[in-house]
Amino acid sequence: MTTADPALTRPRLIATGGLTAVRRNPLLVVLVVMVPVFQLTTGSFLDPANLSGIATDAATLAIVAVPLALLVISGYLDLSVGSTLALGGLVAGWLAGQHHQSPAIALLGALAAGAVVGAVNGFLCCHLGLSAFIVTLGMLTAVRGLAQQLFPLPLSGFGSGFAWIGGARVAGLAAPVVIAALVLVAGALFLALTPAGRHVFAIGVNREAAHLSGIHIRRTPFALFVATGVAAALAGAIKASVLDSAVAGTSGAGFELTVLTAVLLGGVALTGGTGSILGVLLGVLFLGGLQNGLTLLNVPTFWQQMAQGVALVAGAALAYAAPRTGR
Amino acid sequence: MTTTNLRVSGLTKSFGGVRALDGVDLTVPAGQVHALLGHNGAGKSTLIKCLGGAFPPDAGTIEIGGTTYTRLTPRESIAAGVAIIFQTLSVVDALTVAENIFLGQEWTRHGRVDRRAQEEVAAGLLERVAARCSPRDRVGDLPTGQRQLVEIAKALSRSASVLVLDEPTAALSGAETDALAERVEDLRAQGLAIVHVTHLLAEVERLADAVTVLRDGRVAHRTTVAGRTRRDLVAAIAGRPAEAVRGPRRTPTPPRLVVEGLRGPGFGPLGITVAEGERVGLFGLIGSGRTRVLETLYGRRRATAGTIRVGDRAVTPARPADALAAGIALVPADRRAQGLFPSLSAQDNALLPALRPLARHGVRALRAERRVFGALAAAVGLRPARPGLPAGAFSGGNQQKLVLGRWINEARHVDVLLLDEPTQGVDVGARQEIYRVVSALAEEQGTAVLFASSDPEEIVALADRCLIVARGRIVGELSGTELTEQSLLSAVHDPLPAEGAA
Repeated sequence: MTTADPALTRPRLIATGGLTAVRRNPLLVVLVVMVPVFQLTTGSFLDPANLSGIATDAATLAIVAVPLALLVISGYLDLSVGSTLALGGLVAGWLAGQHHQSPAIALLGALAAGAVVGAVNGFLCCHLGLSAFIVTLGMLTAVRGLAQQLFPLPLSGFGSGFAWIGGARVAGLAAPVVIAALVLVAGALFLALTPAGRHVFAIGVNREAAHLSGIHIRRTPFALFVATGVAAALAGAIKASVLDSAVAGTSGAGFELTVLTAVLLGGVALTGGTGSILGVLLGVLFLGGLQNGLTLLNVPTFWQQMAQGVALVAGAALAYAAPRTGR
Repeated sequence: MTTTNLRVSGLTKSFGGVRALDGVDLTVPAGQVHALLGHNGAGKSTLIKCLGGAFPPDAGTIEIGGTTYTRLTPRESIAAGVAIIFQTLSVVDALTVAENIFLGQEWTRHGRVDRRAQEEVAAGLLERVAARCSPRDRVGDLPTGQRQLVEIAKALSRSASVLVLDEPTAALSGAETDALAERVEDLRAQGLAIVHVTHLLAEVERLADAVTVLRDGRVAHRTTVAGRTRRDLVAAIAGRPAEAVRGPRRTPTPPRLVVEGLRGPGFGPLGITVAEGERVGLFGLIGSGRTRVLETLYGRRRATAGTIRVGDRAVTPARPADALAAGIALVPADRRAQGLFPSLSAQDNALLPALRPLARHGVRALRAERRVFGALAAAVGLRPARPGLPAGAFSGGNQQKLVLGRWINEARHVDVLLLDEPTQGVDVGARQEIYRVVSALAEEQGTAVLFASSDPEEIVALADRCLIVARGRIVGELSGTELTEQSLLSAVHDPLPAEGAA
């Protein structure tokens, strides 16, 4: 995608003008078709209980997808989030369960672990200039190994205080949903209203030109790596709290690809320089809705995975085939 | 017997309303070297690219070896016998010489590449161009001159009858240049029609049988070389007799940029002083080190020695942000690679460095941004002045205005403006506007302007004073009435003794 998003200039937090919004986010159309189809076929898709279930499932996805999307827009990538999620959950659970620390301390411990992973990624990619693909692919394995070494046995029984992180209700909404909403809004505000948000796009489009414009081309992506690590660990703590368990070998396995799928479906280009938080939200909702609908229809897991994969490739093909408007 | 290998008639090509080629004729018989001269943007590269099939001409015909084409694809061009050796060579470093020569036309035996046969034939071709490398050498290990010969050998393997050389000596050493000249003479003797694009009059005198000078997309001059003096050629390129309209600068002003003993890889030591409100040109051929000097002043490269002062503050820029903090800004030469964000809006492009200074408590000042952009667009004459239009949709000239606008707005104060080839790929109208904007900046705000150019016309139009750069050193200085296109061209072609060097 080389066409720009003029809304970037005059920031609009919510896309205005129906047609433009649809053209920029073709996923809107897909959602508009998907929701009634699932409602008609399952009969319970739109039940409040089910919707809240979708929202809770989608929340952890959204929390990681937002910083990851920013990272991809700036021209980088993080494949290690699944393992960081596991590490975050384990650290939080270990602090809360084994050491009877308060939920706040447990959460902070998880976030710190995520920040360290993110900082290592950021240092290697931004300061040493190594390929983000290779570095974070390595970290995907290395962090998983570290988690298994530190916590060889599954952890559970984190206590009622810790369960609050994933289970509390705020204004009728589950806490993870509220956190995800905050992350989404923060991401959108960051992109639209801060200089650094513009720098993210500039670095993603043309790193050399950004450097010659006097922008600190290492600082912002480094911060985004740290933010992505922190977000992954936060998602891990939430999952551990909801499930009251964390397993080094399996927690968050494959999560990195699901998040990346949501981000790419949301219109963020892997080449950097384009994307929006609204798109990411749609990508997350689409994936969450698809999984949930297919589960309600008793579609076997393997077929669900296939559907997810097909959706990603179809999305890419559509974006490629779509007429390039001369905007 | 003379056959005509190449005949171009009435070739016309426009890009977005700008005529890059306007009814150009060019005839090159077999066994002749035809020099193609002209400033940057005169249409030389467009002509070459039409020959190579990179884009179709709007009108006109290209006749190669008796067949007439109105448009060519790259494949047809090669099949017709055209070989173009660009400045940036298209050899593959990781392959051997023989593999490069037969790339895409491999000889096979029983479905496998027949290396031995390829290497045998390659050896013969290399002999024809008197290359000193073996068919089995890895191309990446060869010096530039030999790589170029490999590319010419590749052209010969496709039985090329028309050879186009695009500034072939720009990247070569002196000895390599001589060697190439001999090869060109050999190939002419072998009956090829050769189009030789160059800036160097010495090459024209040595090699060319005929000369065509392009200016603004038209044939400005055509001559056979026999009996021509260098002065005649210079006048032909410049297009008009000397215009000495500049007087000496009004009142002397205090120095704004003072560079002493600056050294870096490939240049120096050199000293440059630019006074407040002064516009100083750095004139030199491609590869003379101009760009390195500017990039070092801007902190994109590290200096190995020397001092840089802005006013009386010493600056040691380690990165562009440091230089900007000291008031030094650069408009880079390669807009596409170093300047533009094509998919971002015009406003984002022009205001990128201004966002932080304008922001309040870390939040963008949207209204102020719009106002500053409006003022900037008016100041540089941006057309269309639409903030939301992606920069890639603007013409080259207006893209350059956006890049220039980064440093010409109320949110960014610049004491020293560096420009590298400020009007490369910019049409004539926008060029004048850019000169006007830069001059106004110097006059009204006292900005010290230091710009590099390989276009004598541009130096004369924009500079108060000009430093001649060759091999990374300043070898001369021209100002006042001495500063003419003729004197500039003579200065680079017969460098003065390095008395002006600091």
